Amino acid sequence: MIGGEMLASAIRMTIPILLTALGAIHAERSGIVNIGLEGMMIVGSFWAAFGAYHYGPLAGLLFGIMAGGALALVHAAATVTFRVDHIVSGVALNIIAYGTTRFASLSIFDRATTSPHVQSLPAIDIPVLDRLPLIAPLASNVSPVVILTFALVFLTRWVLSETTFGLRLRAVGENPQAADTLGVNVFAMRYAGVIISGLFAGLAGAYLAVEHTGMYVEGMTQGKGFIALAAMIFGNWGPIGAMGASLLFGLSEALALRQVVEFIPYEFFKMLPYVLTIIVVGGIVQRSRPPAAVGTSYERGE
Amino acid sequence: MSYRRRLLELAAPLLALLFALLVGGIFLLAIGKDPLQVYLTMFRFNLSRLDSIGSILYKSTPLIFSGLAVAVGFRVGLFNIGVEGQYFIGALLASIVGFSLHGLPVWIHLPLVVLAGMLGGMLWAWLPIVLKLRRGAHEVITTIMMNHIAYALVLFFITSVFLDTEQEMVKGLGSPQVRMPKLLETARMPTMHGFLETLGIELPRHVYLNWFFPLGILLAVALFVMLWRAAYGYELRAVGGNPAAAETAGINTQRTMLSAFLLSGALAGLVGLSDLLGYFGYLDIDFPKGYGFTGIAVALLARNSMLGVILTAILFGFLRRGAEGVQAFEGVPMDTIVILEGVIILSIVVAVQIVNWYVRRQEKLMKRRQVTMERAGGD
Repeated sequence: MIGGEMLASAIRMTIPILLTALGAIHAERSGIVNIGLEGMMIVGSFWAAFGAYHYGPLAGLLFGIMAGGALALVHAAATVTFRVDHIVSGVALNIIAYGTTRFASLSIFDRATTSPHVQSLPAIDIPVLDRLPLIAPLASNVSPVVILTFALVFLTRWVLSETTFGLRLRAVGENPQAADTLGVNVFAMRYAGVIISGLFAGLAGAYLAVEHTGMYVEGMTQGKGFIALAAMIFGNWGPIGAMGASLLFGLSEALALRQVVEFIPYEFFKMLPYVLTIIVVGGIVQRSRPPAAVGTSYERGE
Repeated sequence: MSYRRRLLELAAPLLALLFALLVGGIFLLAIGKDPLQVYLTMFRFNLSRLDSIGSILYKSTPLIFSGLAVAVGFRVGLFNIGVEGQYFIGALLASIVGFSLHGLPVWIHLPLVVLAGMLGGMLWAWLPIVLKLRRGAHEVITTIMMNHIAYALVLFFITSVFLDTEQEMVKGLGSPQVRMPKLLETARMPTMHGFLETLGIELPRHVYLNWFFPLGILLAVALFVMLWRAAYGYELRAVGGNPAAAETAGINTQRTMLSAFLLSGALAGLVGLSDLLGYFGYLDIDFPKGYGFTGIAVALLARNSMLGVILTAILFGFLRRGAEGVQAFEGVPMDTIVILEGVIILSIVVAVQIVNWYVRRQEKLMKRRQVTMERAGGD
């Protein structure tokens, strides 16, 4: 039932969730809840298709990343500078992302729900591995973004645990007062955390449009931004854990794409990732530990 | 001071609205339209025609219910972003009860259908709140997932279980709709044309303003009274304001959160009924989506006031009707309205924050002035 083809499909479905989960880790570790990731994926997917249509796939990915980052900047301004409720701001951004994307799609492509087809990056065959019998489907015809994503998992791990930047980022998420006393710029670190999360989500959306589908389609993110948050929680706010959780969600989405059991209606397979998310969030949450100051705004005393 | 304070409270929503129109204006400029001209057309289209007025109220009806549902959640400190899925399940149950129970008089059938809708909404709110209270699962993520599950489940029921295969086709014309059977006449909500005629108002037939609109207003008033006059309303506000203090004061916060969230779900179950019982008369795969999310904007702009929701829902009805007008006459995409909704949500919370800072600074200045005055005239 689950062969190499299925696993390859699972990995393709994992990428947008994993990228966004890595982004979410940056935001939450700095203390900011970013529920607007879904919206950042949406703008990422549309503007990536726009960029790829006009200037080629690489430019498309850059456009997507920048679009996600731009929306994240608004979230950072709202939550860090104006100290509004993180969830409300995120929800607003999701709506704004949906609305502006439809608006832009209609104005630019004359269609509200799709873009024209766009070119993808040239796929890669990983040498040696693509000859091995079982792994071959996983290692041949792979999008460069897939490889980049797995590299980013380890890069994120290194940045968070080994660099000064990572230490400061975690410090402002655990105890902003103490970090501030030690001379860490809480506001700058939180801006950085949120903007990085937007860049990741933008890349995730760009991957969906340019690499996975070859065009922008309205609703193509299908709640992956929220599923990524569940993957982050499941992975206990760490990149390696998030990778494992994302693979699980990716597999469930791959199952949802192909009806594996004939007598179960298609709609129920479609529900699988969402049901899994509820099980994960409801079952795991008590055993995991979020950053201590996550979701709170920091105000400097006088 | 208190009267100035109240004026300032009103300032935040107005500032937010103005800012949203400004942002909307930038988008209009970007596609080469004159924002002033567009807004002017919107006002003229909305206020100069009777069918526009009726349509505004019709469009505001689902938003009253979704605004109330979200506001009740906020009042108890919970973010019900699952109104969307809750009204889909509500519409599903209402539709099933509406086409399957034959031979009932309207005064039994119609209330049953409405109750089925509320029950559906409550059902869909139940799991997220239980997971929140028992397992600490954040209601925002679980309710969003419930929305996606609801969409898929309703699609399944329409296409695979209750698909209406006995649709009468005009010979050789059209194809069968993907929908459930039509509701019985006894399950339909009457429009307000007859009543308005007795008042001498001749509402055009193509407007579907129905009795859910006054029902929504009544419900808002009832919730207002409950919130500010009943013991339960006091508990609800206490839990929303400071759960720890409420618990210390002897309020069962868990039970209050559970019942308030279920109430929010029941209100959400009413959201789709004006469209279902008052307009379409059947549930199909194109049933309107998105009322749940607009409800968040409605509730926040009303600052979670039950009576305020009536006004802000009508305001959003105004914007939606206006969007139809400017789409027809100015060629502006309807989606501008979605952008406005998102910007309003964001700018209202920022505006409230700014007004709060301003008030705090004023109070501090006042205190300082008092102290210096006391010192100056001290002895």
